[in-house]
Amino acid sequence: MEPDSRAFERNALKALSDKELQDALENAVGRIEARRAAAVASFDGFEAARERASGLRRETLSRLGDHLARFIEEAEKRGAVVHVARDAAQARGIVARVAREEGVALAVRSKSTAAEEISLDDALREAGVEEVETDLGGYVARLAGEPPSHILSSAFHMTREAVSRVFEGKLGEPPAADAATLSAIARKRLEESFSRAGMGVSGANFLVAETGSVVLLSNDGNARAGALLPRVHLVVAGIEKVVPRMADLPVFLRLLSRSASGQPLPSYVSILTGPRRDGDAEGPQRLHVLLIDCGRSAILEGKYRDALKCIRCGACLSACPVYGCVGGRPYGWVYPGPIGAVLTPLLAGLSEAAALPDASTLCGACSDACPVKVPLSAFLLELRSDTRFQGLKAPAEIAWAKGYASVMKRAGVLEALERILGELSRLVSKGHPLSGMPYPFAGWTERRDFPSVARRPFRKLWKIRRGARE
Amino acid sequence: MTGDDERALLLLRLRSATEECPCAPAPPAGGDAPAPVAAEDRAARFAEAFEAAGGLLFAGPAESVLHDLGETLRAEGVTALFSPEGDAAARRVAEALAPFGPFTLVSCAEVREGGGAAAAAAAGFRTAEAGIAETGTVIETSADGKTHLPGLLPKVHVSLLSASSLHTGLEDALAALGPDPPRNVTFCSGPSRTADVGQVFAPGVFGPVKTIVLLLTSP
Repeated sequence: MEPDSRAFERNALKALSDKELQDALENAVGRIEARRAAAVASFDGFEAARERASGLRRETLSRLGDHLARFIEEAEKRGAVVHVARDAAQARGIVARVAREEGVALAVRSKSTAAEEISLDDALREAGVEEVETDLGGYVARLAGEPPSHILSSAFHMTREAVSRVFEGKLGEPPAADAATLSAIARKRLEESFSRAGMGVSGANFLVAETGSVVLLSNDGNARAGALLPRVHLVVAGIEKVVPRMADLPVFLRLLSRSASGQPLPSYVSILTGPRRDGDAEGPQRLHVLLIDCGRSAILEGKYRDALKCIRCGACLSACPVYGCVGGRPYGWVYPGPIGAVLTPLLAGLSEAAALPDASTLCGACSDACPVKVPLSAFLLELRSDTRFQGLKAPAEIAWAKGYASVMKRAGVLEALERILGELSRLVSKGHPLSGMPYPFAGWTERRDFPSVARRPFRKLWKIRRGARE
Repeated sequence: MTGDDERALLLLRLRSATEECPCAPAPPAGGDAPAPVAAEDRAARFAEAFEAAGGLLFAGPAESVLHDLGETLRAEGVTALFSPEGDAAARRVAEALAPFGPFTLVSCAEVREGGGAAAAAAAGFRTAEAGIAETGTVIETSADGKTHLPGLLPKVHVSLLSASSLHTGLEDALAALGPDPPRNVTFCSGPSRTADVGQVFAPGVFGPVKTIVLLLTSP
């Protein structure tokens, strides 16, 4: 999936005036947030677990080379074929080669952001492989011709009615009123693919270094079926997914499940260690693990290393007031929401995504929600600073910020300005909020009033009250 | 450049990126593990968590629950029962249950080859290797050639779980896998489901609509 984040502002405006999208987001965010809040509240040691998970991730990243080398060694010892790709083009080349060499005609895929990152579908198409997305949300989004809008739930932006319309229009199904009927339609269409497919493609939630195991979490069961039934299994995973020991998994499983879907554990946790052995009833005859760098080693080296702690739970998305208003599509790439506003500039380049760090109120809800304590708010602020120093801010914005800083540094000038603005406000609006302002401030009052300037500035009130108290 | 070169370069990049790392040592594993629980309480805790995850639990000797289990399977539209060849305990329960439907006994191969229609009318029986009280989880592995099929394809998955095989928490369960885990291990916690449409959980996507545990207590 190619990044298309430059038009964030235009696409966000479009999203704001899309009534059906707003209904979908209100419903979906409300439900997922309620589930997450309940799951967190019922987990006594949540804060302690966050602290531990954050420490474990940080330690793992600080020795990522060693842990990854151990994973590769153990996975290969057990018969897996491990590939490494520096960038997306190289990764696509490897995918196409594996598909050709394994003689695959049909691949079933379960949702994977890493696979989307490298545009895996292009690689399979190039190799002449038919590909079926088996994740229900991903299947719906593809039928609708739309990109995924959430890292866990691709059709997060669609109402039940919209999904029903897609099934009606694209599959000729009768209208369905409930989620169970809609998922049954998808099951009927997709289940036969598993038995026909030569290859299952999945991501990985974790890679366990000490055993070379791939850990997959899913509720649908598609990732498990795709890993067990086809002849070949291809895992596409970011290099940061590694955890050193099996004993490290519990804290991440507890936090990820609760933060992602409000469950103590999803319906299926699959731990896959190498291809099938002689005598095994199921499992792939060949297991390929494709580890992608795609900019991660550069992140590891710099000040944003902690962004790699992310375990892709999506909690920051539903906690974010901006994502809750515009959804995932305006972010223009695989990762929307606050983590997307951090990862997209780092992985795809700041010039590709300079608007994203501004897509935040800096309220800090994302940092509070993150189960592994990625300092998202601080990173967004830092990235804003980077856009300025890389010359990616508009001259007018720079001039405005300079002017603002200059005023704020001089108390006398600020007071004089407050007095002038106070008088002006009383003169123009008689102390009422302004409902329209001229360019360049017109944008502010397009959707809300500008509050009237207080008669007495805060600092003056503060002085008076302190004086009265003393 | 060969794959080996690319791999060596990646590891070099990662090691050089983290050369001067002031990072604190990792916190010890297991810090948030649930406190050990007595065997009899583990069963109660498992039952609570399993039902909260959407499962249906029958406890006691198999003979005492056959009638109720049969009723449940009939209500789900099940007409055929199957169990893996080598799983004698699961086979015994399926055979004893057959008259309550009446249900037809079929083989794993028949369900596999029968496709969606066969699976949609079937209940798969299997003895679980272990369970986790903390999360109401049933553990199935590929050790000794065991199949995952009963929990993978059919509409209903019935697990025979011995109360004595219950672990307190995830820590014990993962430690029990040992240094060389079976090739495929699945932790099943409730039925297959999805919240992809409007964030409302709907059961039965690519797996059972209903998961049942027959919790067997030692006499």
